[in-house]
Amino acid sequence: MIPLQFITAFLMLFMGFYAFLYKRNLLKLILALDVIDSGIHLLLISFGYRLEDGTLPTAPIYTGYETLKGTPMVGPIPQALVLTSIVIGVCVLALATALTINAYRHYGSLDINKLRRLRG
Amino acid sequence: MKRTFGALALLFILGVLLIVAHPNYGLKFGLGGKEWQGYRYTDQYYIEHGIEEVGGTNIVTDIVFDYRGYDTIGEATVLFTAIAGAVALLRRWREDYE
Amino acid sequence: MSEDMGLIVKTMARATIPLIGIFGAYVIAHGHITPGGGFQGGATIAGAGVLFLIAFGLREAEEHYNHKLYSVLEGLGGLTFLGASMLGLSVAFFYNVLWHKGGVFAGEPGTLLSAGYLPIMNLAVGLKVFTGLVSAMMAISLYRRWKE
Repeated sequence: MIPLQFITAFLMLFMGFYAFLYKRNLLKLILALDVIDSGIHLLLISFGYRLEDGTLPTAPIYTGYETLKGTPMVGPIPQALVLTSIVIGVCVLALATALTINAYRHYGSLDINKLRRLRG
Repeated sequence: MKRTFGALALLFILGVLLIVAHPNYGLKFGLGGKEWQGYRYTDQYYIEHGIEEVGGTNIVTDIVFDYRGYDTIGEATVLFTAIAGAVALLRRWREDYE
Repeated sequence: MSEDMGLIVKTMARATIPLIGIFGAYVIAHGHITPGGGFQGGATIAGAGVLFLIAFGLREAEEHYNHKLYSVLEGLGGLTFLGASMLGLSVAFFYNVLWHKGGVFAGEPGTLLSAGYLPIMNLAVGLKVFTGLVSAMMAISLYRRWKE
């Protein structure tokens, strides 16, 4: 049976792609970009889990220095890569919002079917 | 025309899900025991030798800032460029000074 | 956006903005011991700045904001991050020379002054993220497009 994390990540990807293809308002397209990013991050983090027989794995942090020496821990590499990707998602959203404000100032509406004239 | 395109996109994404996430021939979800030592030896090296080489007890932070610090320099550059571009796009133009 | 939001919201904002600031500074400073770090703490303190902009109105926030200071601080954070990575350039590019050779930042693992250049980098990245996000929010809300 397919694990539940993958089903949730692919449902978020499908909802993001559907909204990106079928909606006409510019702000809804920007929100759809954010939903696609969140689905990809959930998929990447759930690849780092680890199933052992006896014990449950814990987070990779040694709070007391000597107590957690040999216990199994979740893989820390996908979490480091997703941290970089979240910041890049925020940067893309900031630039997209600035461009949307300028487009509304020039054309007067937020409908993408009306942004057709190429002007200098 | 548009509705068939949407139906084809949905079928494509669900087909990729069924092939990739299948437990027999696809990406494995939770490795453990012998397979962890075989496929994920880099994670095991960072967990074991992280404290005596870097000195911080938070393994994720000392991957981000010491073992893979070059990616963090690139991310700081992208953040700076995006904020500078967004602030520069929202200034006054020459034609509407009061 | 130019009016404030009433007496109840302003009183609650006066109570919670310093507490959010203190919690964000704790998350940045203990980045090498507990979960957190530079980026997470910087986003938390930017939440306090946006709460000030929402609760007190645009006219009040424009008096307390000078854009030259925030832009200088953002550049300073980036240069500190780049300078801390070049301290051990005689061996390698990202060599942790403050931990291996001894000094102030070479205590026992688990204490506050422990891990080489990691606390310096956490503070630099937290400052950069906070000033960048607050100046982007102020640039969006101060944009005038109608002549009124």
